Amino acid sequence: MENIETKLREEAKRLLLEKKAEVIIGYEKGTLPLTATPCFITKPEEADKLVWNNLCTQNLAKFVHDLITQHKNSQKRVKPEDRKRKVIGVVARGCTTRSMIIHLQERQYEREDVCIIGVPCDGYVDGKGLKVKIGGADIIDGAIEGGQIQMKTSDGDKTVALKEVLADCCATCRFNNPIISDVMIGSAAPPMNPDAEYEEVNAFEAKSMEERWAYFTREMDKCMRCNACRQACPSCYCPTCFVEQSQPQWVGIGEDQTDTQVFQFMRLYHMVGRCVDCGSCVAVCPMGVDLRKFLKKLDKDCFEFFGNRAGSSMEDMPPLGKFDEHHDKGDFVYNP
Amino acid sequence: MARRKFATLKSFLNYVGVEGDRTIFTWVSASEGDRWAQVIKGATEKIKALGPANKMVKHIG
Ligand code: SF4
Ligand code: SF4
Ligand code: SF4
Repeated sequence: MENIETKLREEAKRLLLEKKAEVIIGYEKGTLPLTATPCFITKPEEADKLVWNNLCTQNLAKFVHDLITQHKNSQKRVKPEDRKRKVIGVVARGCTTRSMIIHLQERQYEREDVCIIGVPCDGYVDGKGLKVKIGGADIIDGAIEGGQIQMKTSDGDKTVALKEVLADCCATCRFNNPIISDVMIGSAAPPMNPDAEYEEVNAFEAKSMEERWAYFTREMDKCMRCNACRQACPSCYCPTCFVEQSQPQWVGIGEDQTDTQVFQFMRLYHMVGRCVDCGSCVAVCPMGVDLRKFLKKLDKDCFEFFGNRAGSSMEDMPPLGKFDEHHDKGDFVYNP
Repeated sequence: MARRKFATLKSFLNYVGVEGDRTIFTWVSASEGDRWAQVIKGATEKIKALGPANKMVKHIG
């Protein structure tokens, strides 16, 4: 990835110097060992901070939406003829570009508002999974080289194969290369294993209704309603989320079990045709709630019922914003 | 549009283990009084057969 990083920094520098973008959203080295964290580069000389590796977890489309919305709000009191466009540059892999396609489909901003630096992706490390793999030891230092993660830990030196600790969403990712971009860094990454993407969902579907309910209950009982999943999700951008609405109040705040289930069910359901399986919500969840088991079902249904994969093409409309008389399944209709 | 929402909602409710069969969706025109009565009767029977809902129910007090 060294080579890609060098090119990425050069490209970011150039875009800032040529004023093609006012800010570049990318990743920098995190404060903890073996982590990377989102960063915002506004000066060309800062571009050397940028990194691109298997530790870049979060989907940066979230911040693209945030910055553009912020800018638009700041322009509200400016006379229309004096309004300026602020171009946001972003380092984007497959799922980040899918999230931006969803934003564009949902008319959140215009294509010209973003300058996409596409990067090939071969997945990121599931931090929680890695921790389990090394028996809960604390990582003191580490590096990734040649598909191996080398670590100095509180329990001695350890080596784990990258493949074994890739996030679930990455291991079965169908779109690991950018779908849209303005500049592309490096050549396309080899495909992951998309054929296995619904295996977990299929196995869960095969269980009985009561078993499924028991699993949902158990998982949601872990949730402490911190809302981190929502905050991390690029598709969760409502100015006022239903969770905070008070007229009407859709769901109670606090720790009531049913409220939590309702919160989860509703947020999950809002992701039909909008979840790109970037895993950002899963990665930030402090309680390890298995959100993906449920999100992936929505994705599967959306593909099976309507032939749509969220954010996979600029030509698509949001799947819930249209219907297809001839191909949509009708078996859910009562007494047709 | 709405039909796609109902299709996915019903399926998702079933998936998480809540009886999705409580989600009943169909079309009735304002001029079809008979059909309206028939649909409502059928739906009521279906729900009665399922009994009271006890999942995702909040007990207050
Ligand atoms: S719900 Fe989770 S996996 Fe899906 S787009 Fe949002 S953050 Fe990504
Ligand atoms: S959960 Fe729903 S209402 Fe809340 S931010 Fe996400 S999409 Fe919007
Ligand atoms: S991040 Fe995890 S604990 Fe927090 S609200 Fe989401 S599911 Fe619940």
